Amino acid sequence: MAYEIKKAAVLGAGVMGATIAAHLTNAGIECVLLDIIPFELTEADKAQGLTEKSPAWRNRFAANGLAGVVKSKPAGFFTKKNASMIKTGNFEDNLGWLAGVDWVIEVVIENLKIKQELFAKVEKVVRPDCIVTTNTSGIPIKDITAKFGPKLKEHFLGTHFFNPPRYMKLLEIIPGQQTKPDVVAYMTRFCEQVLGKGIVICKDVPNFVGNRIGSFDISNAIRLTVDKNLKIDEADAIIGKALGRTGMAIFGTLDLVGLDTAHHVSSNLYAAVPDDEMREIFAPSELMNKMMELKWLGNKTKQGFYKKTKDAKGKKAKLMLDYHTMEYVPAGKPKFATVSDAKKKSDDGVAATIKVMFNGTDIAGEITREYLCNNFIYAANRVPEICDNIIGIDNAMKWGYNHQLGPFETWDAIGVREAVEVMKKLKLKIPKKIEEMLKKGCETFYEKKEDGLYFYDFEKKGYVKLEPNPRIILLPDLKAQNKLIRKNGSASLIDIGDGVACLEFHTKMNAVDDGMIEMIFAACDIVEKDFVGMVVGSHATNFSVGANIFKVLLAIQKGDWDILETLVADLQNANMRMKYLSKPVVSAPAGLALGGGCEMAMHAAKCQPCGETYIGLVEVGVGVIPAGGGCKELMVRVTEGLPDGVIDAGLNLQHVYTKAFENIAMAKVSTSAVEGMELGYIRKTENISLGRDQQLWDAKQVALGLAKFYRKPRPVMIPVMGENFRGMTDAILYNMRQGNFASDYDVHVSRKVAHILSGGDCAEGTLVTEEEILALEKEAFLSLCGEKKTQDRIMHMLNTGKPLRN
Amino acid sequence: MSDAVIIEAVRSPGGRYKRGGLAGTRGDEIGIQVMKGLLARVPALKPEDVDDVIVGCSFPEAEQGMNYGRVIAMGAGLPITTSGMTINRFCSSGLQSIADATAKIRAGWSEVMIAGGCETMSHIPMGGSIFRPSPEWAFDGTMPNVYVDMGITAENVAANYNISREDMDKFGLESNRRAYEAIKAGKFKEEIIPISAYKYKVLQNGKRVREKVVFDTDDGVRWPSKLEVMAKLKSPFKQGGTVTAASSSQMTDGAAFCLLMTVEKAKAIGVKPLARLAYFAVAGCKAEEMGVGPAYAIPKVLKMAGLTTKDIDVYEINEAFASQALYSIRVVGIEDRLNAGDINPNGGAIALGHPLGCTGAKLTAQLLHELKRRKAKRGIVSMCIGGGMGAAGIYEML
Repeated sequence: MAYEIKKAAVLGAGVMGATIAAHLTNAGIECVLLDIIPFELTEADKAQGLTEKSPAWRNRFAANGLAGVVKSKPAGFFTKKNASMIKTGNFEDNLGWLAGVDWVIEVVIENLKIKQELFAKVEKVVRPDCIVTTNTSGIPIKDITAKFGPKLKEHFLGTHFFNPPRYMKLLEIIPGQQTKPDVVAYMTRFCEQVLGKGIVICKDVPNFVGNRIGSFDISNAIRLTVDKNLKIDEADAIIGKALGRTGMAIFGTLDLVGLDTAHHVSSNLYAAVPDDEMREIFAPSELMNKMMELKWLGNKTKQGFYKKTKDAKGKKAKLMLDYHTMEYVPAGKPKFATVSDAKKKSDDGVAATIKVMFNGTDIAGEITREYLCNNFIYAANRVPEICDNIIGIDNAMKWGYNHQLGPFETWDAIGVREAVEVMKKLKLKIPKKIEEMLKKGCETFYEKKEDGLYFYDFEKKGYVKLEPNPRIILLPDLKAQNKLIRKNGSASLIDIGDGVACLEFHTKMNAVDDGMIEMIFAACDIVEKDFVGMVVGSHATNFSVGANIFKVLLAIQKGDWDILETLVADLQNANMRMKYLSKPVVSAPAGLALGGGCEMAMHAAKCQPCGETYIGLVEVGVGVIPAGGGCKELMVRVTEGLPDGVIDAGLNLQHVYTKAFENIAMAKVSTSAVEGMELGYIRKTENISLGRDQQLWDAKQVALGLAKFYRKPRPVMIPVMGENFRGMTDAILYNMRQGNFASDYDVHVSRKVAHILSGGDCAEGTLVTEEEILALEKEAFLSLCGEKKTQDRIMHMLNTGKPLRN
Repeated sequence: MSDAVIIEAVRSPGGRYKRGGLAGTRGDEIGIQVMKGLLARVPALKPEDVDDVIVGCSFPEAEQGMNYGRVIAMGAGLPITTSGMTINRFCSSGLQSIADATAKIRAGWSEVMIAGGCETMSHIPMGGSIFRPSPEWAFDGTMPNVYVDMGITAENVAANYNISREDMDKFGLESNRRAYEAIKAGKFKEEIIPISAYKYKVLQNGKRVREKVVFDTDDGVRWPSKLEVMAKLKSPFKQGGTVTAASSSQMTDGAAFCLLMTVEKAKAIGVKPLARLAYFAVAGCKAEEMGVGPAYAIPKVLKMAGLTTKDIDVYEINEAFASQALYSIRVVGIEDRLNAGDINPNGGAIALGHPLGCTGAKLTAQLLHELKRRKAKRGIVSMCIGGGMGAAGIYEML
């Protein structure tokens, strides 16, 4: 059976339901969002003239859910405009809409009876091939489906999103006993390819995989903290970045999630897993109970394990809970020798820092050992109870809990045998399957062989090959397979098959430097000769944060204007080389694509952005202007597609260029790829890869598609407004200055931007070449570099990471 | 020489910017309907007797372009022998057109004229749709900034002359209260020509349709309002500024016209004159503080007439912003008259809206009908003007 989800229905418009609906629209799927009818008409409603028949009243919960996600931070929508793709209604009047959808996902309150009653109604209206899922995080699928007819059971499964659904990669899929395998296969594919999620297939067990292992992890950390009499900030310093956790560590994360949520999840678990060997750890601790009573639930109640206040001088101060006295005391940054030692190794990766932590000789080492060993044993004991193999558990913790390494990867980092020795000393019960594994001479959970990655399978008692997903291009693997074509310290060119090469940047934050530019030229030469196309992208968090401003500052301080001029000219030329290469170049920006990064992303034949792309020309923040062709290319973008003759006929370009001016002068950065399109940095005709995993593959397909009939673009003539544009921007800037929205120097820098966008000294309606604009960019950049206040801005950015308003 | 008299002064209701009752109707259409309504009120006048039409407009371009005056005259059904012109003195255009018509009739160059103003801010943005300040202009203070944003000028007036936020908010609140009361009492009914306005709609079946609806009441009034709520608003013009949406005029659509003729013509066709524009003056001031214009124009016109503020029964001083209106009132020394209800007695542009080039004529219609209700003698309409000017006219009832 061929399934295809084009339209979906989300039942339940709470935070989770509404944000799931928002993410579906991000993937281009129209939704209906339904919820219950309010319980009763209030006096306020009556005063507004509402009756029990008013749709405004009947649909209120769904409408409020939608309004909430429109305002939510972080944003659930790629762009607020997506809200129009969601139709709101209620369970009584609008269930009929479900007949028109391909997927129904239930996200109502965690109450079995309510869910069963709702599904009984749903069953009557959905098409027989409609896929129906629940987003439950704890209720077994077999209980929910108990009264279903056979047809619905075949099309029913659990799809458990993690909050917030747009940003969390993990999506747990829980097939029921009768779920058809092709439905599971389709949903897996759909959620990966269309929604951009990472899928873990779970068994139908309490809390599935992520929250089972995650609850243990947190309970384990809390118990150790109390048992070892650690302060809250001490525990977070230990079980923090050095162990591959986020900066918020354990207690900061609990405050963010909410203690009530954590408490609810673990007490549910306690009741649901009577046979779990570690069950007692899920019983809410005395401390958690006390905090629940006091309603110290974390950030939402403004206090939890931490509390932010201001001291006598009005300076922000962070307090933490002293759980003995239940009072808040100042939190610090506790130092542990082992943590400091681990940090020194941070360049070697998180596996190295975890190893240092595990072997530490102080209390931090002691805690790490006990904490990790408990986690390891618990995770090992859960296979195959909660999922088939170790991969699911590792992925769930990485994708759903933001751990950099899953428990088995962490265990490998330390050494399986080394950890077992420690477990023995701690008198912990070592799982038989681990002893078996070591006896067989299998010393790691994962093993890299020539033909790919293998993992240890407890059931097969041996290594099993991890079947690679052909849609996931892994550059490190390709390098290992001799596919590296050329490399320097800043970038590499890799053969990604079928005649396509990938230009990968790998400087710190992918800042643009000489090496990178050199590789662009080299890559273009090679691709032009030997390949059909090129993808520019990487697995790094950020596509590129732009120019290395430290180098710019050094050149300024040396007074070496030749270097500065070369720097600008090289980036311009490299970008123009990519743009006019005879083979198609496809850029694949993701994460930050700022300044020079934005410019590079724009100078490709096509762009295949990741949904989470934060793109913009931010140069004015450091007192300069986009000079790598950014102004020029934005001018091309905002004026391309105009029919011939309209400029001669007097087309008013004022609003078009004002938009470009505002983008650059206000250093606007998109909060998604779609916003990047709205700003004009990505063409609206491009496609978006929702997830990172398949982005390079997607980009490669675009390159291959283009390669069949590719002709490099013809040179562009850009229509400009000339001096008239400057008159207009001067008048606007005066108002902004008077209104204190801009400083004198902001105005100065903005006038340089205006000069470039005006096209120079020419009349309105003149057509100029790209080279003319590039020359204006260069001139403006160099002149600003000579200004003290620009230098101050650069210095400030280097010192603080924040822009200076001077 | 013959004196020029005003036979009738009428206006459309003010329609709120973009969401109001006139937003779907073209400006020329509003102007045409008001002019037709005006002519219908004076059946004794033969259309071919109308010699010339003057339409004031602040942004005479796009649908307001192509010589708006002639477009509206022809659209209103006046014969081809009736001429038409468009004039622009920004916010005072509507008052200026009445002054120019008066002068022309007095000079003996015309016998019967229609003058007023028409502006659709919903369609033509402030600054016009093609904003082209001179690239040669110096924006460093060495030249008056004739292009300055009006909000900035309001902030400047508030800051330079210590007009407090509280006073401005109170002024805005009172404007809305008065407008609300006036509408409730039906005071505007006589001066308003209801407009058969267009509304664009999407039907349930997705079809787009244009509907006609009668629009007969100013729709910008915000009442009830609360000072506490107003106090929370932020200035959109200046960071940390004090001028807010609650103390600024609204952007509005509207048209207003007067019928003027020689005294003799009125007598000949047997119509009773309503009033005359006796005196008119303009005065220049700093562009960056353009709102202070009335503080110069009112004394100037009074001096010209040999009158004092006491001789004036009712004032209509345009509320571009509470800051400039209050400042001008204080400088002229008539704050007691504000409190007594002799200045903007039925609310001002903060509540009823400010359709730029129309407003001078709109306030004329409001003033003359208020004087008529009060059976009073003299009134002043005064405007501040972008670029740094003020205008004031003294009307006398006949």
